[in-house]
Amino acid sequence: MKKRTNTLQPNALWTLPSAGMLLCLTIAPLVLLLIFSFMNRNLFAGQPWPGWTIGNITRIFQNAAFWKLLWKSLGIAAIVTVICIIAAYPAAWAIAKVVKPKNRNLLMMVVILPFFTSQLLLIYSMMNLIETGGLLLTLLDAIGIHNAESIMYTNKATILILTYEFLPYMILCLYSSMEGINDNLIHASLILGASKAKTFTNIVFPMSVPGLLSGILLVFVPVAGTFAEPNLVGGNGGMMVGSMINIQYKDNLNMGYGAVMACILLIVLCVIMAIVSYAAKRAQIHIGGEVE
Amino acid sequence: MTSKGFNRLMMVCLWIVLAFMYIPIVAIIGMSFNATDYGMFPYVFTVKWYETLFTTSNLLPACWQSIKFSLLVAVSALLIGTMTAYGLQYLSPKTAEKFNFFMKLPIIIPWLVMSISLLLLFSFIGSGRSYFAMYLGNLIVVLPYVVLLVNARFLDMDRTPEAAARLLGASPARVFLDVTLPGIMPGMLAGGLMALIMCFNNFTLQYYLIPTGLKGGNTLPVLVFTRIKSGYQADLNALSAIIVLIAVIIVIVFSRLGFSAGSLFGMSGGAKKKGE
Repeated sequence: MKKRTNTLQPNALWTLPSAGMLLCLTIAPLVLLLIFSFMNRNLFAGQPWPGWTIGNITRIFQNAAFWKLLWKSLGIAAIVTVICIIAAYPAAWAIAKVVKPKNRNLLMMVVILPFFTSQLLLIYSMMNLIETGGLLLTLLDAIGIHNAESIMYTNKATILILTYEFLPYMILCLYSSMEGINDNLIHASLILGASKAKTFTNIVFPMSVPGLLSGILLVFVPVAGTFAEPNLVGGNGGMMVGSMINIQYKDNLNMGYGAVMACILLIVLCVIMAIVSYAAKRAQIHIGGEVE
Repeated sequence: MTSKGFNRLMMVCLWIVLAFMYIPIVAIIGMSFNATDYGMFPYVFTVKWYETLFTTSNLLPACWQSIKFSLLVAVSALLIGTMTAYGLQYLSPKTAEKFNFFMKLPIIIPWLVMSISLLLLFSFIGSGRSYFAMYLGNLIVVLPYVVLLVNARFLDMDRTPEAAARLLGASPARVFLDVTLPGIMPGMLAGGLMALIMCFNNFTLQYYLIPTGLKGGNTLPVLVFTRIKSGYQADLNALSAIIVLIAVIIVIVFSRLGFSAGSLFGMSGGAKKKGE
């Protein structure tokens, strides 16, 4: 076959406005973030450009608190992601394979509905449930468990609320992959004598890897960079790296320093996602063979 | 794996997960009708929080502010997004794939990083925090949803009627309005609605880019953030109940338009095509 030459059709030019917007409002700001990491004063609208420094970078490597918070945030993100995966696998399986086909779309809509009510309302509703004097403790008191302590204003509350917010994403991702697994494959595997565990590791898991990966991306990345939840329910010891970056802009006003932190967070997240996706693809091929 | 016991266990897990997701929401709705100011007991039925919400509460003006703002963003996103999806059909598949990847960047990058880099950009060009900055910031993060959903309609659609209309002498504008537009309308409606919700709910970007002393007050997410710091808010319970009701309606509209939960986020469909 002859390779088609790449002639640009005039109608393709309709993509230009959003291409321009992407360039100006996503790529350029990210480049600026990197450049502004070397800025020695704050930048305000209408004021002259501040000077340059590498002070922010040397300072960040001496700031033990930042690295501690970064590890803590990655840890919390990992915990939330793992809890979401454990809770979402059976739920997604039930919707994709057990429920009657005509009810599947309806159930998925039920799963995704809380997401449409907004992040802050989900935080607020869970806050009301777990706080001292809230429904949960009142009920525990009524059935005879007195003086139970509220987990509000601890890291546990942050983890619980983040899990609550992001669980629908994970179910959605896993369901989308599992929906595509042919039932006959599973039947064949079982009839031919493979154990349930083996059927899971050799058929279900490899075929759900694409969904699992997009689920991890959609849960781990935003959770690692969040600041609203720790701010609202984490209490004094609840800070995450997002809170620290937020403070550089809202309280301390140290834009260059905050930009360095954001850059490091972004780089670390990119590296982690690259490793996770490489490992998952290797596992997929290693366990289940090449999947078409 | 297909045995009855195993399936029953999976269903139990599903119900537990659904209970976890809905108990806090149901509790809020319950409390919105509870006269006792704090906590649950004694439960006395009342609608006074709804009266407060619609009379003295500062939540309602914020709601209007957010609705006006989100409509502006959603309409712009719909216009630009539809243009983009139309243009995408004329790019080579490889270029289109690359374009779609870049298009998703604004929703993959953590919102906090996105917000501060936009804040730096607007400080750099000299406008700082402003309504226009907030508008552009929200526009770029909701645009991908419109492109995604309209593009999906284009890919599903039979394009031959358009060619036929053109052969029969219709002008390009006429072909677009009479043939293309009705075909992609469900995608545009779903995309516009998605953009509206995403903008209405986006706290982080609005928190960073909203100007101080904005005429008409803060947007709803920014106000709610400052208010829930101080705990229980009776009028917010009432508003939450109304928002849940609206979410139910939105979900029904999406189903009627023929979109599944996965397709709204660009997930299902791809897996199916590969399997067949």
